[in-house]
Amino acid sequence: MEKQGVLNNNNIAGSPLIHKLCLGVVLFGFWMVLSGRTETKFIVYGILTAVVTTWLTYPLLLVPNKDGSKRYFVFGVSLPKFIMYFFWLMWQLVLANIDVLLATTSQELNIDPKVVRFYFKVDNPMASVVLANSITLTPGTVTINVTDDGLYEIHALTAGAAAGVLDGSMQRKVAGLYGEKFDFAVAESEE
Amino acid sequence: MIEAFGFNSLREVIAALLMLCGLVFFIGSAIGMLRLPDFYSRIHASGNSETLGCALSFIGLMIYEGATLTTVKMAFAFLIVFLANPIGSHILSKAAYKSGHPVWTLKSKGAKKLVGLEKPGHSADEPVGNLKKKEEK
Repeated sequence: MEKQGVLNNNNIAGSPLIHKLCLGVVLFGFWMVLSGRTETKFIVYGILTAVVTTWLTYPLLLVPNKDGSKRYFVFGVSLPKFIMYFFWLMWQLVLANIDVLLATTSQELNIDPKVVRFYFKVDNPMASVVLANSITLTPGTVTINVTDDGLYEIHALTAGAAAGVLDGSMQRKVAGLYGEKFDFAVAESEE
Repeated sequence: MIEAFGFNSLREVIAALLMLCGLVFFIGSAIGMLRLPDFYSRIHASGNSETLGCALSFIGLMIYEGATLTTVKMAFAFLIVFLANPIGSHILSKAAYKSGHPVWTLKSKGAKKLVGLEKPGHSADEPVGNLKKKEEK
């Protein structure tokens, strides 16, 4: 898979050529959707814009890992896997949202807010970003802090939400999405 | 039968039902905003419940619109909400956490206050703990 990069970087995970091609195709599709016109002139403009934008933004879309030995493409994730993950996340979102809705509208206000902590260490920084974003997106849990050594501090609204974060199913899914090995450990809570 | 309620097709009924479901989550979000005790729990209400409310409303609108370019644009708008909403919630809560805003827990404030909050018509200035004690006597 490793190829000599255009900017003499051979530490990029995956092939830069395929990355640029995918990015260009997606940008051109975005252009077509927003313009909605199929005259030759606009298609040529679209292709030119997509190529220039790809050329300018590709170096910005590479994120280094912690020790700087490897660089990952931000959108370097397989599309079928990501769609599967998206629908799984949407389903979790519905379940958790109903849970939170019932908790906040019940007579007794069944909440137990607390901060839970766990360690999640992966090499790919995008995996930690996706995990933090997914946790925040799921109702009842908000990522309040992520440290450099992979400590996640999560504010959980209900007891069920806290248990859901700490059981490690979402962490497994995210690591599987990026095909990464991961370390997961529940940290001791102060409360 | 559908025409009696002012709908023209089954598609409009499905769209209206989906938007109604979205509205339920928006209302739940507003109720949570008013009832929850502290800043961190209110972020849950404001940021998160809106995502599903938004999703259902947008899906309703997309079904109403049919297969046109506007539908795809609405999908993009939803995708941006989907990506940006958690980032906003995270930045707000991170700022509060870094500046040392205390986290409200059942242990730190006591479960009694939580019940006291539920009393209808008690004023915000009155200490809730005392109110509870008076009633017990």
